[in-house]
Amino acid sequence: MGKVIILNGSPRAPKSNSKMYSEIFVKKFKDNCDYFNINNRNHEQLIKTIKDNNYSDLVFAFPLYADAVPVGLLKFLKELEKANIENRPTISIMINCGFYEPKQNDIAIRIMKVFAKKTGYKYGSTLKIASGEGTPSTFFKYFLFRKIKKFAISIRNKKYQDFVYTMPISRKLFLKASTIYWTRYGKRNGISKKEMSTMLIEDK
Amino acid sequence: MKLVLCDKEFDFIKSEKDINYFNLSAMKISNCVGCFGCWTKTPGKCVIRDEAVKIYPLIAQSEKVLYISHIVYGSYDVALKTMFERAIPIQQAFIRILDNETHHVQRNVIEKDATIIGYGNISDEEKEIFKELVSRNAKNMNFKKYNVIFATIENVDEIVKKEFEKWEK
Ligand SMILES: Cc1cc2nc3c(=O)[nH]c(=O)nc-3n(C[C@H](O)[C@H](O)[C@H](O)COP(=O)(O)O)c2cc1C
Repeated sequence: MGKVIILNGSPRAPKSNSKMYSEIFVKKFKDNCDYFNINNRNHEQLIKTIKDNNYSDLVFAFPLYADAVPVGLLKFLKELEKANIENRPTISIMINCGFYEPKQNDIAIRIMKVFAKKTGYKYGSTLKIASGEGTPSTFFKYFLFRKIKKFAISIRNKKYQDFVYTMPISRKLFLKASTIYWTRYGKRNGISKKEMSTMLIEDK
Repeated sequence: MKLVLCDKEFDFIKSEKDINYFNLSAMKISNCVGCFGCWTKTPGKCVIRDEAVKIYPLIAQSEKVLYISHIVYGSYDVALKTMFERAIPIQQAFIRILDNETHHVQRNVIEKDATIIGYGNISDEEKEIFKELVSRNAKNMNFKKYNVIFATIENVDEIVKKEFEKWEK
């Protein structure tokens, strides 16, 4: 079994869905997996860690942002491209998006694959998660956790493969569930559904 | 109203009566931190009060936009990508169905005609990805029509000039 590094590219990494999903992933590796959040100040340190550790696999866990990769992760990729890394790990990705359709993640996945190709990294497995924002607060999370474990095992065994998850309900029901989710979210902040539905931007 | 967002100075473009022009690379705009405050705490307003706050209302109000970005790995480079992520206050948290897919409900965002110029040393594969990225943006950014144009570092000024003259009319 090789050694794995998992990097969380969510801008809210310490409190992110990507972190929760990474924790499930890590369990399948015991001591053979290092986990770090990417932030605007630790690129150099992370690159040094990659250089020093001879990882067999590098996993990026991140959310879909504006149909592509979050800008913080993009900045890190640009630094990683410049770095002179001798033993390049195989890159795998675990992406999650808020919407219901897994295919909404496809462009971000292609961006990561182009990165890998352009910079001489091999590409491994993909776990494409949709309804990634809503799932953790439902029972369906156990379905997702099962997929994450399979994704982890595929990397552990170097039998790279693609996995897909979305909430196992219809699109219509998803829409209803998401409305309840967001209404509750607002309520916890003392904001009503009506206030959240304002058509005004900057009060205009 | 019209809006130009770019990541490089074009001295032949200026803000004037109905054109707003921003070279984002000369501005201090920090990245979205994913707090969802703009949906659930101060709806329609970002909690980070930097220069992005004056740009996203203009994105919403413009019927014609011209976006010019360096391309990296088939994506917008940092400046434009940062701004797009900071523009989510113009949408609601709530979801609707559009073209048989889930998308957010837009606040007062008018439909727009978008011209997007991507420049750099771009491979064919990256061009394909970028075109598809724009076609996805179209749904989330309320484009009714869009046109994607590619340029190299060498000819970007010339191409932007030509497109800007057509676009301005
Ligand atoms: C600025 C911003 C842009 C987003 N863009 C998209 C998007 O284009 N499509 C989508 O399905 N979800 C989008 N989302 C939702 C996130 O992908 C979703 O909430 C995800 O679960 C966040 O994961 P994290 O907690 O690991 O950061 C966006 C969220 C933010 C804050």
